[in-house]
Amino acid sequence: MLEQVLLNSVIRGSEIASLAIGVTILFSLLRFANFAHGEFALLGAYFTYFFVSVLEINLWVAAVLGAVLGGAVALSSDVALFSRLRSSPGVVLLIASLGLSIFLRAVVAGIWGVEGHTYSDELETIYRIGEAVITHTQVIIVIVSFTAMALFYLLLNHTQLGRAMRAMSDNMALAKARGINIEVTIRWIWFIVGSYAALGGTLIAMDTQLWPEMGVHIILVVFAATILGGIGNVYGAVIGSFLIAFLENASLAIDWAFLFAPFGVEGSVYIPTGYKFAVSFAVLIIVMLLFPKGIMKGSKGD
Amino acid sequence: MIELALFFSVLIGIYAIMALALNLQYGYAGLLNFGLVAFFAIGAYASALLSLSGVPVLIAMAIAAVISAVVGALIAIPTMKLSVHYWAIVTISIAELIRVISTNEEWLTGGTFGLGDIPQPLATLVPLESYPLFFAGFTLVLVVACYLFSSALVHSPYGRVLKVIREDEDFGQSLGKDVASFKLRTMVVGAAMVGLAGALYTHFTTYITPQAFEPIVTFIIWAAVILGGKGNLLGSLLGATVIVLLYNSTRFIGDYVELSAVTLANIRLALIGLLIMLTVLLRPNGILPERKQVF
Repeated sequence: MLEQVLLNSVIRGSEIASLAIGVTILFSLLRFANFAHGEFALLGAYFTYFFVSVLEINLWVAAVLGAVLGGAVALSSDVALFSRLRSSPGVVLLIASLGLSIFLRAVVAGIWGVEGHTYSDELETIYRIGEAVITHTQVIIVIVSFTAMALFYLLLNHTQLGRAMRAMSDNMALAKARGINIEVTIRWIWFIVGSYAALGGTLIAMDTQLWPEMGVHIILVVFAATILGGIGNVYGAVIGSFLIAFLENASLAIDWAFLFAPFGVEGSVYIPTGYKFAVSFAVLIIVMLLFPKGIMKGSKGD
Repeated sequence: MIELALFFSVLIGIYAIMALALNLQYGYAGLLNFGLVAFFAIGAYASALLSLSGVPVLIAMAIAAVISAVVGALIAIPTMKLSVHYWAIVTISIAELIRVISTNEEWLTGGTFGLGDIPQPLATLVPLESYPLFFAGFTLVLVVACYLFSSALVHSPYGRVLKVIREDEDFGQSLGKDVASFKLRTMVVGAAMVGLAGALYTHFTTYITPQAFEPIVTFIIWAAVILGGKGNLLGSLLGATVIVLLYNSTRFIGDYVELSAVTLANIRLALIGLLIMLTVLLRPNGILPERKQVF
């Protein structure tokens, strides 16, 4: 049981992390929670779907193309919307991102319909690790996500751009004074976090399915992971993602009977399937109330 | 035609009450309530269940508003210390949680099938053929009452403190004002108004399902308040009117162009999203900006 919970948490955590990295960076640099991040993931997944189903390109090439296009959408949203609001308070940016999120979701649902899609309907190879089960696709999801995170680590620590990003996150005024081109760096950040989100979207869709609501369903969980990890802390966001994923999976696997026994309830008490999708909301609310400043140090505590 | 006009005036009235409530919370107190629809749902279900169990409709509506206010306080008390962004995220999660509960607890809410045959206010006293007109008048009375109440509130010393807190929380604190208590009270007042709107909606449609309480309702009201102008109550009435008409206008496009219901629904949503972005970019203070008061 524990093995399966841990395995599922690693898979789910890998998916959440690819979005949480971007949300935490945007939050620390531009001072707002980007509601449209879930829709970057949504678009990435559907771009990949377009390449796979219409142009019949190999899924992995399609996923990369989807990520690039997702990054392009994020970059365009900065050019058209967010860059014009640089001097506005964070609340205004938050509302703008909400408008963008509603707009993008409606466009996706308008083009591809509200029903679910999958990349392939071939039968899956299944591996057993002890008691636990994992599919071939899920193994690949974890490998791709960890590779992406390693690349991000290299970007952050061993490139000029990464240094600029970290400097801006620490102290915007000082970074400016040191001659860092703030605007160019912000544009690069939008492109990179957009493509990471788009890749994450493709991974989620590979694990489950594509549907227009997937962005809405993942974004609140991503916020929870980001806050738990400390705003602006990329490593914190990754750790937060795996923790949130574990809390989700564990709460579904736990027999809650011990809580209800004093009230005379007998037998096992599991969270009903109808509430499965609400578990992440409950986890989010609890995390926010217990750890409003996160478990790791953020660049700027909010 | 008259029936349609009456139908839309009730719908606009329901959204106008919610827009007034959100304007009090966001426009005056700076509260980012992204879970507004939760109170709409609570008011709707409470009034439906009470009236179905035999409580007179008008009393059921009043109790529904009170229940909604109590839930507002229960949500606000533990979360009031969170920063605005976090609060937005928590409130949207709570609203989703409440919607999931309304979908799952069939013994209470009828689940996805919802509740039907909900009685209407004073249905036995008003002749059937003039009932739509009566309901529109009833809605108008409630909208005017909510407007006058909100207006009195924001022009009172209480309202002035709210604006101080919105502009600078620490400054409000330094004046010796209990910031958390002011925010809490605004949250409760707004929740009561939205609960009342939910009750009104219930008795208007006489049939409710969890589908009526999706997050998009919250966002439509946000669009109304931003478009109308935050911190301007008349703006909220105007914003609600424009948004409700715009949101429903695509129903009529369908008469001229061959489009599926799903496509039309998505055009509606895209319009709302676009409108929020354009307002923020082009008219950040809305159509009717907040009037600066000179003392």
